[in-house]
Parts: sequence; structure tokens; C-alpha cells
Amino acid sequence: MSLCQNRLQEERKQWRKDHPFGFYARPQKNAQGVLDLKVWECGIPGKEKTIWEGGLFKLVVTFPDEYPTKPPKCKFVPPLFHPNVYPSGTVCLSILNEEEAWKPAITIKQILLGVQDLLNDPNPESPAQAEAYNMFKRDRTQYERRIKQIVRENAAP
Amino acid sequence: MEPLPLPSSLAEVEELIRALYQPNPPETISKIQEVLHRLQRSPEGWQLAQSLVAHREDNIRFYAALTLIIKLNRDSDGLSDDDAKELLENLIGWTIQSITDGAGNFVIKKLCTALITYFMHFSHLWPSCIRHFLYCLDLGRGASVDSLDDALSTEILIGKLNSYKIRAAIWFATFFVEEVGKTDMGAPKFVQVHSRLVKNGPDVTCLLARGFSPLQDSTDLKTQGEALNCFQAWILYAQRASPIPDLVAPLRQLVGHAINCFADPDLFQATAELFSDALSNYSSFFTDEHCNTLASLFESPWAAEHYQRVLHGNHQEDGISFGLVVLAYGDAKVNDLMRSPDARSQRFLESLSGLLAADGYLVGEDTIFVPALEFWSTFIETMIDATYSDEVESQAWKPYAEQHLKTVVMNCWRKIQWPPAEAFAEWDSNERVAFGDARKDVTDMLQSVFTLEGMRLVSFFTDLFLQALAAQSWSELEASAFCLGALSDCISDESRFDQELDKVFASHFFELLGQAQGPIPLRLRQTGLALIERYCEYFERHAKFLPNALNLLFAAVGDSVLGGPSARSISTLCSSCRAILTGEAGAFISHYQTIRNSQVLDSLAEERIVLAIASIIQAIKDRDHKLNTFEELYNILKKDFELAVQLQANPGLLNLQNPDFLRGLDPPNPQSAPPIEEIALQIALRSMRCLVSVAKGMKDVKEQPVDLDSEPQPLSSNSRLGSLQGNIMQVLVEVQRVFGTSSEAVEIICNIFRAGFSETEPGPFVFAPDAVTEYFVQQRLETPRVGTLLSTACSFVGSLYRGPKAYVPAQLARLLPWVVSILQALPQPEADTEISLNGINFVDKIMSKYSDVLFHPHHEQLIEFFFLFSIKVLDGNEPLPKGAAAEFWANFIPLTNSSSHAAASTVVPSSVMTHLGPLLARSLVRNIGGHAARSELDKLCEPLKRLVMSRVEAQSWLQQALLSPESGDVGGENAASGFPGAERVSPEERVVWLKKIIALRGGRQTNQVVREFWMACRGANFAYVS
Repeated sequence: MSLCQNRLQEERKQWRKDHPFGFYARPQKNAQGVLDLKVWECGIPGKEKTIWEGGLFKLVVTFPDEYPTKPPKCKFVPPLFHPNVYPSGTVCLSILNEEEAWKPAITIKQILLGVQDLLNDPNPESPAQAEAYNMFKRDRTQYERRIKQIVRENAAP
Repeated sequence: MEPLPLPSSLAEVEELIRALYQPNPPETISKIQEVLHRLQRSPEGWQLAQSLVAHREDNIRFYAALTLIIKLNRDSDGLSDDDAKELLENLIGWTIQSITDGAGNFVIKKLCTALITYFMHFSHLWPSCIRHFLYCLDLGRGASVDSLDDALSTEILIGKLNSYKIRAAIWFATFFVEEVGKTDMGAPKFVQVHSRLVKNGPDVTCLLARGFSPLQDSTDLKTQGEALNCFQAWILYAQRASPIPDLVAPLRQLVGHAINCFADPDLFQATAELFSDALSNYSSFFTDEHCNTLASLFESPWAAEHYQRVLHGNHQEDGISFGLVVLAYGDAKVNDLMRSPDARSQRFLESLSGLLAADGYLVGEDTIFVPALEFWSTFIETMIDATYSDEVESQAWKPYAEQHLKTVVMNCWRKIQWPPAEAFAEWDSNERVAFGDARKDVTDMLQSVFTLEGMRLVSFFTDLFLQALAAQSWSELEASAFCLGALSDCISDESRFDQELDKVFASHFFELLGQAQGPIPLRLRQTGLALIERYCEYFERHAKFLPNALNLLFAAVGDSVLGGPSARSISTLCSSCRAILTGEAGAFISHYQTIRNSQVLDSLAEERIVLAIASIIQAIKDRDHKLNTFEELYNILKKDFELAVQLQANPGLLNLQNPDFLRGLDPPNPQSAPPIEEIALQIALRSMRCLVSVAKGMKDVKEQPVDLDSEPQPLSSNSRLGSLQGNIMQVLVEVQRVFGTSSEAVEIICNIFRAGFSETEPGPFVFAPDAVTEYFVQQRLETPRVGTLLSTACSFVGSLYRGPKAYVPAQLARLLPWVVSILQALPQPEADTEISLNGINFVDKIMSKYSDVLFHPHHEQLIEFFFLFSIKVLDGNEPLPKGAAAEFWANFIPLTNSSSHAAASTVVPSSVMTHLGPLLARSLVRNIGGHAARSELDKLCEPLKRLVMSRVEAQSWLQQALLSPESGDVGGENAASGFPGAERVSPEERVVWLKKIIALRGGRQTNQVVREFWMACRGANFAYVS
């Protein structure tokens, strides 16, 4: 088995053993019902005591063949209104950038917790979409109202 | 803070140490610490430690040991080998002395740590540290390392030690492996340290073998606990360092000793932890013989008793350690167990499936279920892998394995049943979430089982469903419906399962579900309604069940708990079954109207319902009928808009007894009534959101072909559809006029437009291009969310490009001045990133297909402004518009090259670049010379490459930018500043760099060369902190 597959098996095992409350993360199944370890479907809950509380956001994590040397790609499906999420849904976060803070030791749990932190704590230094970034900077009241609506539309079951 | 003076006598030092461990205010403690630290670090530190280490007080001795560690870490380099050898003898001597004179364990442990610290620095002087330490323990004093040659065998030495000395030696061996394990075994500095540690392995094994055996001496001290702890530390090391056969082989001899510890109730917990850890993380450590021993142990009466305790005991109090050990063993041997039909393996697997049926509710009481389910999920996946990879003939194991699956599925079905409401009410939120998570894990597991079992699994649950229904056993019925729901992803779109599903959907369960005061509890209603949604595709094939299902859902829409999910189900079902529901559109509209008249729905639920109805309307074939039905729905919403506008003009109208006004309360039950204008606005917004949903519902789900060369066929404004569109547009404009400050209103209008842009067939929201353009050009910088309007305008242009060409130029010619006028109105180019970004994107988009429109002489002034605007943006700090500007320039430059192919059809005068080229070059150099962020470099390379490729003047422009002292930004504010890194890169280096860039002729390597230059300008030591 390749390094990538081995590591993902291990990640899966660790996740099953210990994962933060309210999150889910599981490899997708392909047409034959066999797991495709390189594409995971995950759910990120909004943090308690933030405007994101109560929401659950679907994130698809895709691992390249070179994982864990290279980081996985995280994409909100559907794309999320957030300053650091590209219009395509891809998350812009330093730990997910090979040239920045990615390290092979970073686990899926750390990634998902990192993305959860990012929700309520956007990084205005690396905007990825103009709409949310602009509203976040210029009209915080309207921004928060919009987030609350998004949370309602993506309520955790 | 005044520092304390250094103590002048040993007695004073002792006093300070005593004071350090007394309760004292923090500032006193830190003062003492400070002075003691100074002392420890001073050259007298060694002597100080030596004087205190034999003290009768433990705290003082401990402090002495600590001082020794600090000295070793700080001053080892200053010691000669002879000094170091002497120090070792002393260190060992002090340690033995503290053992023999009964010092506290913490003192002995700290001295052991000091010895390890010594090893870390002088491992070459003390390679056989374990054996030497044991030798000295036997002697009762520190001895030279050389004298070890004459010592007895390690085994005999150990045999002579009493329990206290054995225990200290085990501590030493534990810290030894833990401390060495913390260092990088690949680092040259530590390679030897690790290899010396490994050579000590056999001595450690010898020591632990003794530690594991109950000692026959007078001390009565048990050492097995320490031995277990030490053994686990060595296994962990061996795993991380593996493969090291020289270490693993001796350690393996200890497994039997460790297994024996299971029987001692005091050691059971630690033993179980060791085995579950090692089996799950390092199963290759265990030999077949070990596994056999474990397997026999698991069959013993002792194990049976522990197993029963896991099944029926209290998990919070008694723990589940035994369960975790057997599961870890199962996990380690999963492949063998699956393929072995022998009785022992089968019995073992049976016991593991039994763990899914322990007493108590998930997860608060029964904590073994989740780990057991984890094992079975692995088991099932192993089965799937083997089923696909093994030859069919060699699958004799399969019937046996399948037998276990039945039990697993059955046990899970029982376990996920909801507790009675009273029990659930007592759970805390963590327990509730964990229960939900466990159900989700079961869903995953069932989907895997389906891969193996297919139809059999479906019938298994439909049978359970019908049995539970007949017995009116609601929690069993709920679990069956839940499990069937879990399988929907696997079977919903395949008609071969329909016969089974018919049994469920034709059952009288759904009649019961429809009874308002019926017997069905809330949870079951939820699951039942969710089941309908999950089997949407089934209903598409079986239209006869559909109206019933939808009636059920509509009936639940007003419910505070079920409303949300029901509305979602309605929209899913209606959207995918639209074609067969067209006859129901009128009835659904009346349904909607009736609900509205009696209560205020949750606004999100309402949006979903109107979306559902609109999607049915979209499928109506007859045009008139379609328009009639649409108007019926639209008129309901239109009345809301009219009401909102009237209320805004005439606040006296407000009547909070009337549901139409109550719609304006958000949240629905505010503590105090909000201002009337707020109510009016909310009424309008709420219905506008519904209108967006209608617009989305009206979108065609099928792609229609478009003939780009066809003649446009504008709708006559007299046509019915035309006047309807006019009406909608009028309403939108009116709402915006009345509630002009609401940014949400503008946002919603944009969404309504967007819904129409993607359509290829005429429809109420597929406005004529003229009408959309007319709307846009009325908006000003002051309009809220004008940035979003610009991005909508970009989408509009995209939709124009997908339609007949003849429409396009006229619209672009009207929109372009409008877009530029907004950019012109901005106080600075970066005042609103959304506007700058979308403005640039808009122009870029026109340039990509209609450069003749863009560069028409008529627009000369606009475009001149835009060029300078985009260069200012390129010079700025906002990443998004800057990226767009870079892209714009990358696209623009080739158009100016008279020799390139692209230029043949354009009207860009080549002279434009004579003026702009130097400005652009300056901006690029400023960015690459340190102004840009690293992540922007790739984008900035594109215009640079194009410049080099397309323009012969590129070299001189760039050279000027690199070398002229006043290269600054266009605005002139920073003129004369040069580029940020100018001081770090000499003019000669700049010239060399430029030569490289030119020589690369726009090739891919440009990016790398740019990156290097940027790094040099930022200062070589700039790097990402990792």
C-alpha cells in the first residue's frame, strides 16, 4: 500500500477513536460501494458561543497522491460565504498551503478544527472572496446577519 | 523588584530552599527562584549540589538533584573525560545512598533522571549503563566503569538485589528509554546514543523479568506495576524505531510475564492498557505463540467473568478495559479471524459481536458499543476487500463471516433505538450528540454491509419494519425506518428494490403518520417523514404514493419541530418529481394559502415550500396554464410587497392581530414590538426571499441548446409574459425605492436576476436584456451593495455571451460607462474591494470577446481612466483586486502587439503601450521588489511574462523601473522611494536578474526567478515561520 493510503488508513482509525464533538469525517464510497480513502466528506459545526453556533457545514477534503508530503484540498460544498473561502468553495488557510504552514504531521482532526476556528476568526490578510471580505470589513452588522441566515439554512440536525 | 543577595553560607541556601517549598506569595517565590537559579548557574553550583545531596531533608536533596541536572545540561562541555568519570561514580553513589537511607521516591527518581541526563551527554563513557548501574547497586556504591569487566553476569547481579534496588533500577530503565526516545534518532548528534540504548535491551529484559516475578524477600514491595510501566515504554520505543530485531527479540521474552499480570486485580488495569495499546498500534510485536496464549486466556473462566462484567456491569465504575483488549486483539488478527472457520475463532468473533449488546443506553451508559462497532466496521471492510480481491473458490470462509454480520446488524438495530423520552431528557448535550454520532456510525456500517448483502439486508429491515408496525412497537419501528433510510443512498435509484420498498410505503404506517392526534410519537414521525425525503427517486417511479406523501408533509409544515424538515422534504420531492405533479400545482398553492392564513410559517420553511411549488409550475407544459398558475402564486407574494410599501407610507395600518403583519416580526416573538418601518421592511424582505426561491424553482433542470447565431426575438411588452416581467421588475424597483437603505433588498434583487441569467427558455424571471441593463444603469455608488451589483453585471455579461450575439454590443455599450462611472466615483481605488474587483473583472470580460466595443473611440476617456485605475490597484495592498488587475494586464498586453495573431482583429493602437508600458513596468517591479505578498507573485508573473513576450520595449521599461531612483507608485505619494527592496539588491544584481527574465522569454521558469528576486528584496532570512 502506498504511503498516502497507509497514512489515510491510520487517520481514519485515529478519527474513529477520537474525534471532536459534532464533527463528522468519512471517506466517500465509489460506485461499487468501496471506500475511496482519498476523498472524505466532512461536517464542520459552528463553534459554540459564536454566530456560527448551530450550523453544520459540509466540507469535501481531497487528498493528492503525494499526501502527506502535500496538503489536502478542502472545499465547502456548496461554497460558503466567508472571507477566506474562494468562490469555488476552496478554503484558504495557511496550514493547507504547501508553501506556508503545511506539515506532514498535521492530522485530519487538526485540519477540521483549524477550519472551524477560521469560521469565526477570518484572516483579513488573505481574502478569497470579495463579497464576504468586503462585508466583513465594511458592515459588520450586515455580515453577522448574513451569517445567522446561513447558519439557519445549514442547521445541524 | 529588588533581587535578593546571593547567600553567603550553606545554611542560608538551605533556608532558601525550605522557603521555596513553603506557601509564600508569588513574588517571594520568584525572588527565591531567581537567586537560587543564579547560584545553580554559577561555577560553585557543582559543589553546592554535592554538599546538599546527602542532606537529611528530602526537599533539599531533591533540589540538589535538580541542580545536578541543570549543571549537566549547561556545563558538561567543560568537563574532561576523567572529571566526567568521577562525576558518574559520585552520582551513582548518591543515588544508592538515597535508596539505602530511605529517601522519598521523588528524590530517588530525580537522581535517576540526573543519571539519564549524564548518559545523554556522556553515553560514550557509559555504554552499558543498565548493567553498570545494577553492578553498583549490588556493590552498594559507585564504582568505575572499567571495573565492570570483572563483574558477575547480569542475571546473578539482579538476583542479589532487594526489591527497593530493583524498583529503582526499573525507574532508571524507564526514564532511560523515555528520555532517549524524545530525541531524533536520525539526527547525527543522537545516532550513537540510540544505538547504545538498544545494546542495553537484553539487560533491561533481564531486569524486568525479575521485576515481573514476585520477589521472595523481606521487603514485601511489589515491583510488577513498575515493570509493566517500563515494559510499555520500551515497546513504544521499539515500535517507533522499528525494525530493530536486536531490541525486539529480547523484549518479546517478557510478553508472557506481562500476560500473567492480568490475573492480579491491582495490575489488571495497567496490563489491559498495555495490551490494548500495543495490540492496536504495534501488533507485529506479538508472535503467533503470544497470540495463542492470549486466545487461550480469552477462553478461560477468568475471561468469561470479565466479559460478563463488560456486558452487564456499570461501565462508568468498572470500566471496559477487558472489552478494549479483546477488541484490540480482534483488530490485530482481523484477517486471520475472518478466514478461520475453526471453533475457537468463531467463538471469539461471537463474543465480539456480543459486545454490541451490552446493557444500558448508548453512549452515556454503554461505552463499549462504539469501539465494538469500530472493530466490526473494520471487519466488514476487510470482508469487502477480500471479496473483491480473492478468487471465488477460496472464499469458503464467507458463509461463516456472514453469519456474524447478521448478529452485528441485529444488535446495532436494537442499540440505536431511542430511549423513552424521560430517559432522554436526563442526558446532557454531550450524550445526546454522541448518541446521534453513534447512529451515524451505524449508518456507515450498514452501507458497507449492503455492499456484501444487497437485497437480503433490505428485506431484513422491511421485515423488521412490518413486524414492529404490527406490534405497534414504536421504537423498533423507528429504528427500522432509520436503517432503511440509511440504505437509501444505495438503493433509492434502483428499481429492483421497489418491490421490497412497496411493502413499506404501501403499509398503513403512513396513514397513522397523517393522523394529527394519532399514536405516532414525535421521533418516529420525524424519521418517517425523513424516509419519504430519502426515497425521492422511488416516488418518482411510483407516482401513486406521491400525493399521499406530500399531503403528510404539508400537514406537518406548521409544526415547530417537524416544519423545517418537512418543508425541505417537500422541496426535494417536488423538485425531482415535478413532471408528475403538474396536476397538483393548484392544490398546493391553496394548501400554501390556507397555511398562511392561519399562521406565520418559519420563513426558511416558507421559502422551501414556494420553491417546491414553483418547480412544479416550471414543469407545466401548457404555456397559458403555466402562466396562470405562476401568477396565482406570484400574486400572493405581490400582496405582501404592496402591504409593506403601504405600511411604510402609512404606519397607522399596523394590525398585529393579522398574520399578514405578523410576517414582519423577526424573530417571531420579540420582547418588545420593533419600529414600524422595521416591520414593513421585514415583510418586504421575507417575501422577496420567497420570490428568489420562486425564481430558483422556475429554473429549468434540463439544458436546452442555444443557437448563438439566431436572431433575437424580443418579447413584446404587450405579451402576457412581457407584461408579467414588467410587473415583477416594477415591484422590485419599487421595493428598492421605498426601502432604499436595505442592503439585503439589493442582494435579493441580484439573486433574482441571477436565477434568470442561466435560463435559455423564456420565463417570468428571464428578463429582456434591455430591462436588466436599464435597472443597472440607474444604480449609483450610493446604492447599498453596489459591489454585488457589479458582480451580478459580470454574470449578466456571461449570460449575454451564451445567448444570441446580436444582443450583446448594445448592452455592453450602455453598461461600460456605468461601471466606469462607479469606479470613478470611488474616493480611492481600494475604498471598496468588491467594487474594484468586479469593476476590473467586468472590463476584462468585455475585452475577452468584444474588445472593439471596449476600445471604441467613443470610450477613449473611460478606458484611459480605467488603465490608470487598474495600475493604481496593482500598486495597492488589496490582494483580490490586485490579482484581477494583474490578470487584466496579462490579457491586455498581447492585444497591443501588432505582430501577434490576436491583434489582427482588435482596434487597440500599439501606441497605447508607449505611455502605459513604463508605468506598468514600474508597478510590477515595485511588487516583485518586495511590495507584493509571496502568494501574489504567481499572479504578478503573468503580466510580466506577457510583457517580455509581446513587447520589444519591455527590457528598457523594466530596466528603467529597476534602476531609476524615483521608481515609485503611480500616485506619486511614494515617489522617490524606489522599490521596497532596493537597498538589498545592488544595481548590478538587478541587471543580471533582468537579463535572466528577458532570456526566459516569458517561460515558466520566470516564476522561480521572480521568487528569488523577491526573496532577496525581502531579506534573505525571510522565511515562513513553521
